[in-house]
Amino acid sequence: MTGGIYKKPVLFAIVATVVILIGTMVTMFIPMLTSQMHPRLEDLKPFTAIQLAGRDIYQREGCNNCHTQTVRPLKTEVMRYGEYSKAGEFAYDRPFLWGSKRTGPDLARVGGKYPDAWHYRHFENPQAFFAESNMPAYGWLKGKKLSPSDMESHMKAIGFTYSVEEISALSEKDELDALVSYVQIIGASVKKKPAPAAVIEEKEHVTNPFAGDLKAIESGEKLYAANCAFCHGPNAKGDIGPDLTDDEFLYVKGDVSDDDYFEIINNGTAPGMVEEGRTAKGGMPSFKDSLDRNERWSLVAYIRAIQVKGAQK
Amino acid sequence: MNDYQYDNGTVKGFIVSSIFWGVVGIIVGLWISIQMWSPAWNIPPYFTFGRLRVVHTNGLALGLGVGAIFGICYYITMRLTKRPLLFPRLARFHLYLFNAAITLAALSLFAGMNQSLEYAELEWPLDIGVVVLWVIFAVNIFGTIIKRKEEQMYISLWFILATVVTVAVLYIVNNLAVPASLFKSYSIFAGVNSANVQWWYGHNAVGFIFTTPILAMFYYFLPKSTGLPIYSHRLSIVAFWSLVFAYLWTGAHHLVYTPLPDWIQTLGIAFTIFLIAPSWGSVVNGFYTVGADWSQMRNNYLTKFFILGITFYGLQTIQGPTQGLRIVSQLIHYTDWVPGHVHMGTMGWVTMTVAASIYYIIPKIYNTEIHSVKVANAHFYLVLTGQLIFSITMWFTGIQQGALWKATNPDGTLKYTFMEGLIKNYPFWQMRTVGGLIFTVGMLFFIYNIYMTVRKGKALAASSI
Amino acid sequence: MINDTDNLEAFEAKETVNKLPVSWLILFWGLILWGIYYFVSYTPSISGWSQEKAYEESIRK
Ligand code: HEC
Ligand code: HEC
Ligand code: HEM
Ligand SMILES: [Fe+2]
Repeated sequence: MTGGIYKKPVLFAIVATVVILIGTMVTMFIPMLTSQMHPRLEDLKPFTAIQLAGRDIYQREGCNNCHTQTVRPLKTEVMRYGEYSKAGEFAYDRPFLWGSKRTGPDLARVGGKYPDAWHYRHFENPQAFFAESNMPAYGWLKGKKLSPSDMESHMKAIGFTYSVEEISALSEKDELDALVSYVQIIGASVKKKPAPAAVIEEKEHVTNPFAGDLKAIESGEKLYAANCAFCHGPNAKGDIGPDLTDDEFLYVKGDVSDDDYFEIINNGTAPGMVEEGRTAKGGMPSFKDSLDRNERWSLVAYIRAIQVKGAQK
Repeated sequence: MNDYQYDNGTVKGFIVSSIFWGVVGIIVGLWISIQMWSPAWNIPPYFTFGRLRVVHTNGLALGLGVGAIFGICYYITMRLTKRPLLFPRLARFHLYLFNAAITLAALSLFAGMNQSLEYAELEWPLDIGVVVLWVIFAVNIFGTIIKRKEEQMYISLWFILATVVTVAVLYIVNNLAVPASLFKSYSIFAGVNSANVQWWYGHNAVGFIFTTPILAMFYYFLPKSTGLPIYSHRLSIVAFWSLVFAYLWTGAHHLVYTPLPDWIQTLGIAFTIFLIAPSWGSVVNGFYTVGADWSQMRNNYLTKFFILGITFYGLQTIQGPTQGLRIVSQLIHYTDWVPGHVHMGTMGWVTMTVAASIYYIIPKIYNTEIHSVKVANAHFYLVLTGQLIFSITMWFTGIQQGALWKATNPDGTLKYTFMEGLIKNYPFWQMRTVGGLIFTVGMLFFIYNIYMTVRKGKALAASSI
Repeated sequence: MINDTDNLEAFEAKETVNKLPVSWLILFWGLILWGIYYFVSYTPSISGWSQEKAYEESIRK
């Protein structure tokens, strides 16, 4: 057993190197030479200059220490975040930013989930949205100008095509603009499918079972404060999301049924979605998984109650 | 008496440097642990959580870990080859370069220069510096071993040689990048492939920084400090080769349920579970060695450190493989369970073993005895308590997080929003800070003890002239 | 207590130099067998199992 190899350091080192290279070859190096490691989705586009600038900032600030960017093909995870991650989404990610710890939520499907305004406000003060969030504030990125010449050399190094206008336009933008641009295209190459919620409720064509029910209105008011106020304003007079007390629904005058209210809370909106012949701009999140039926109807009851109040004044 | 001079100055230098960087890393660690439950402790731009966390990991892995490895492996190599280092001046330069590199590394990470590859965050100019450090180390270690005065290479030298060649391969490959400027580069690997390369690297950084060199220390200092010979040479051999062979197959256990091809995940998990056997080869060898005289656990303070260290290594190498299984990963991946696992390894196994090695070395090179065994015992119980509080609170909250994320209502909808899950962590995160504080106090006892021993040694040397 | 040279002889026990504890050997070979079983069961081109199929199945329920 005390073979010669333990007396010959050079031979020993060579043998050790060969031994460590076997697993390296099989699991890392050989797969790299095959196409299975280099998939690309059809809809995937390389980053634009401002998006890459945002991604650089994401790396610089170490957002990946708190946020993952990969949804696992597990039922509840897909319900929470959306379609599970596909190998072909990441072809331009150098390197990948999947992360390994979810102190904050996964961001693989955050692109387009909220309007830009939401992100600006949230980055400036996450605690204004969720008082108990531990996310640091990033408002200090505002006003820090991007450098067009730096970004040109970054685009060159990574090998993405760009236009001169695109680069010079960067001088107008700051780091917060860039970060929002990046966050908004994360996962954009994957079509949003409805989450596989256990019950996909159909339109019920019923009026609110709680209409006028004072208890329900009261609990609706609480739910509103917890889930809706930071977008629609404390009095529902509109902020990031539209005024809920006026006689417009999705930018068109004229009332809609309780159903439609129920539906929009249920499903949220996506840009271009058409509801009752009205076109949404997107940005209203879905509450299907976080509010149950009764809670959603209570909210509708509450909204109706404040609309009536508004009309009486 | 011996007719040759060991270069103890460089060894001492590395030990002092590693302790210094350890203090920096631990302070930053406490800081980020507070930021997790009190975001007001974020001070932009340099001191937000996202930047500080990598200062913490790099400060301790590179500063405390690698610094101690360089110094202690030099010491072990000189002893086992029965000669001084082949290039003592180069070793001294190594020490200065090491401190310069870590200083720049810390500053660059505060500044946000970050490749976003875990444990390979440093930007490319510093990567070159790190490679130079390892090349110098390799040259000195190989040279000294080749010119050795003892024919047989003891197992500690095998582990040191395996560390040197593997770290070289890992570090160079994972850091390959196209520079865009002095401060920014883009990895040459993209997407799924870059994930596969990174975790091949990441897992083996654990294997060849936090495992093999520490085992080199264990196999050397355990017999030295107890006077008990290692139980089975044959077990050492089988465990060594199967360990270094199997480690490199297993990186994919960090990517379970990601878009990485299923077969790579499966192969990685199969080898991950196998790793229990070679790891426990060393654990069994350690236990059987001290099994010849268990009274040492009471009478010899160093035995306690080494045996508790290898016990935590044993627990780690059962817990780690288990985490790799799909069914377990489903629940605990991305949660605080993982930092719980990490810190049983780093605080329990690595720091325990390194501290004990230093307790052995410092009195030896100053020709004296340890300042106080009582203080060493206090150090032992404090770091043990701190570490257990840390790991156990994180296991609890990790499982809780995993369970809340999965919980559904009877109608199939999710039961908890993300925020509802988050706030349930806060009490545990606060307890973790307490555990960290206790650990820190333990480390201060250690530093005090080493400082007093050095003082005593210096006074002795002065009086004997 | 100064011991500047290392006597390699003293590092390793003589009587037990060739011992491999039986329990450890069982562990070693048992885990290899389990690894083969696991690899065969969860490799798509061998068993047909895949992460994606497992997911599809879980949402059908
Ligand atoms: C200390 C951990 C931490 C860090 C660092 C952090 N976040 Fe967050 N983030 C959170 C938490 C917790 C939430 C959930 C609560 C909230 O929205 O504030 C969150 C929420 C978000 C959301 C909303 C996600 C959603 O689906 O509602 C976005 C977008 C986001 N973070 C982006 C970032 C970016 C970009 C960075 C880096 C500049 C970053 N975060 C850094 C913890 C963190
Ligand atoms: C992240 C911000 C956000 C949150 C949170 C939010 N909304 Fe919205 N909401 C919007 C946006 C943006 C629109 C406009 C949608 C569009 O154009 O696609 C909208 C539209 C609506 C509409 C259509 C109203 C109209 O007049 O056009 C209703 C009703 C509504 N939201 C109710 C709610 C309720 C109830 C909640 C709480 C459960 C809520 N929203 C939470 C952003 C939000
Ligand atoms: C056989 C031995 C081991 C195996 C198979 C193993 C396995 C694992 C696995 C599967 C994970 C990922 C968990 C997850 O993200 O879901 C992990 C994480 C980790 N382990 Fe271990 N472990 C072992 C021993 C150790 C030891 C001894 C240490 C340290 C001294 C250690 C340090 C770490 C670190 C630092 C991470 C975190 C990686 C990250 O940043 O995500 N491990 N380990
Ligand atoms: Fe690992």
